[in-house]
Amino acid sequence: MHFGKIGEKINNLFFRKSSVKKDGKISQMRMSVIVLMSYRNIAANKTRSLLTIGGVAIGLGIITLLISIGFGVQEMVVREITKNNPDNIIDVSNVNLENFIVLNDEVIEKIKNIDGVSRVERAVDVGGKFYNNDSQVDSVFYGVTKAYMGMANLYLSEGSLDFADEEEKVLITSKLANLLGFSNPAEAVGKEIEYEAVVPKDLVDEGVEHESPEREKITIVGIVNDDANDNNSIYAYTMLDHLKEDFGIIAGQSGKVEIKKGYEVEAIRLQIEQLGLTTESVTDVVKDINSFFSLVRIVMIIFGTIIMSISAMGMLNTLSVSLLQRTREVGILKALGAKRKDVFKMFILEAAIISFSGGVIGLLGGYGLARLVNFIFNMLAVRRGVDPTSFVEIPYYFILALTAFIALLGFSTGIMPARRASKIHALDALHYE
Amino acid sequence: MEGVKKGFAVGKRNIPILHGIEFEIKKGEFALLIGPSGCGKSTLLHIIYGLEGPDEGKIFIDGHNIWSYTKNWRADFRNKNIGFIPQQPFWIKSLSVLENIAIPAVISGKSFHASLPKAAELIELVGMKEWADHRPYDLSGGQQQRIALARALLLDPHIIIADEPTGNLDQKAGTELMDLLSDINKKFKLTILMVTHNRDQYKYGSRIISMLDGKIVSNEFQKF
Repeated sequence: MHFGKIGEKINNLFFRKSSVKKDGKISQMRMSVIVLMSYRNIAANKTRSLLTIGGVAIGLGIITLLISIGFGVQEMVVREITKNNPDNIIDVSNVNLENFIVLNDEVIEKIKNIDGVSRVERAVDVGGKFYNNDSQVDSVFYGVTKAYMGMANLYLSEGSLDFADEEEKVLITSKLANLLGFSNPAEAVGKEIEYEAVVPKDLVDEGVEHESPEREKITIVGIVNDDANDNNSIYAYTMLDHLKEDFGIIAGQSGKVEIKKGYEVEAIRLQIEQLGLTTESVTDVVKDINSFFSLVRIVMIIFGTIIMSISAMGMLNTLSVSLLQRTREVGILKALGAKRKDVFKMFILEAAIISFSGGVIGLLGGYGLARLVNFIFNMLAVRRGVDPTSFVEIPYYFILALTAFIALLGFSTGIMPARRASKIHALDALHYE
Repeated sequence: MEGVKKGFAVGKRNIPILHGIEFEIKKGEFALLIGPSGCGKSTLLHIIYGLEGPDEGKIFIDGHNIWSYTKNWRADFRNKNIGFIPQQPFWIKSLSVLENIAIPAVISGKSFHASLPKAAELIELVGMKEWADHRPYDLSGGQQQRIALARALLLDPHIIIADEPTGNLDQKAGTELMDLLSDINKKFKLTILMVTHNRDQYKYGSRIISMLDGKIVSNEFQKF
């Protein structure tokens, strides 16, 4: 009896295999039909579907808003900082009192010989005292080259640089002009004033012929723009060659090194530091800013994960309820010949449509809202005389990551109800109350 | 059917429901399966329809021993060869009446666009044309069963299996449905196997298969 049954089963199994082969391809529902039916079901339960899509959209919208403003503010800060301080310029100085190295011709030559360095310009700062009629003002007195001024982004709001480097000419800030008795800085241009300078011995080569004046006349030829410091700096600039002629200064305490394109700034900095000098670059500040915003992003990711977990639970709940309500529909579909795969696809697609719709609305809504905030901010800024700026930015990799996340959300929340639906037995479903 | 046996496990016990059922229905017959409640009619119908497997025995439809094939094959066979009218019709709520009629075709891999013209022909055949764009659950029980008949006919099946289709209908609606089934049987030479309790409907059957306690007690061919 038992052997007979086993024989029949084996026979049946063999027959099944050969039958499937013989009967060819088993038909399946078209993907377009499955998409349509999933969409119809979502549309038929408008309130529930809208609430679920809304939940996903709000979650993703908040994340997009925060991230786009986060990235945008970071970009804006970096942009503003690097605007006046290009990242291919290294500031060189010496703050090491134990091993004081001045930037003389020999050191400058060594720096120039480093592979990747395109230009080196030095500066010297000495103590200065300026006189105009009854006014006398103590000021930092810089000796620079015209090329250095370009690298340091020092430009004139009045006057010009059209003079020989050895001439007795000076450029001053507007604040210094005011302190010297010029109510309008522009009035100072072309005026002759007097000055004294206190020069450190380390910078002077006594072998060089010079005048060593005690109090010398000098002509103001320009006003240096000082907007970056709200016109509060008290500085004066003259050319290094002029200081060399008057005081025998042959070295500087600081300088600027320009790096050729494509060279690693950090590697060159290291080589300069090996000469005993100290270096600074805007990249230090950018690094600090980036690490701060990385921290902000981590907080945002945690915040976003919490929001999206809530949205995902809402979605899972909707799909589970949808399955309960549609158990009989699944039953009749299966009774009429639908396969497990068809039912699985129907439910997973429903989850995909919900997460995709919510994702797209969230992404566009969040970005749109960020742009609106930017627009309102700029409108208020312009009214107060501040230049408009953009602080909204979505990097392409964030959009890619978000797209992947939306797909993952749809799949992960849809897989459980879809598997359950596909496993439902037609008879159980038709008897389901 | 050859020696079909079926039992259900209740706890550790196996309760036998069908005891070696054997009968044959010829093409074009209108067979009525009758018997008291609990005698195994619906179980037998589900086995024939391919939803529930027998413990023993074979069921041949158009020469195919349907329980020797895979589940997907049976689903496909059911879809293309057997029309089904359940006691209570079930619908896809989000689809219209016409789209619900087209469901067997879309399950078989056709688009709605390609399936709707045939569905429109059938809704006219069952006299429900004006209800095409309504939702199925808006219709009365009798109307829903007419739509279920149209759905069952969509893919030109070789056989229609109906599980007490008039069980939830009033007498008038029940008679209308039976007349419709009878017309279709005669007009298209379509084989019908139907479970019924209603003695008034015996007149529609060309064969009456009577069951009692899981056995066939009579199997008579009626001449009209």
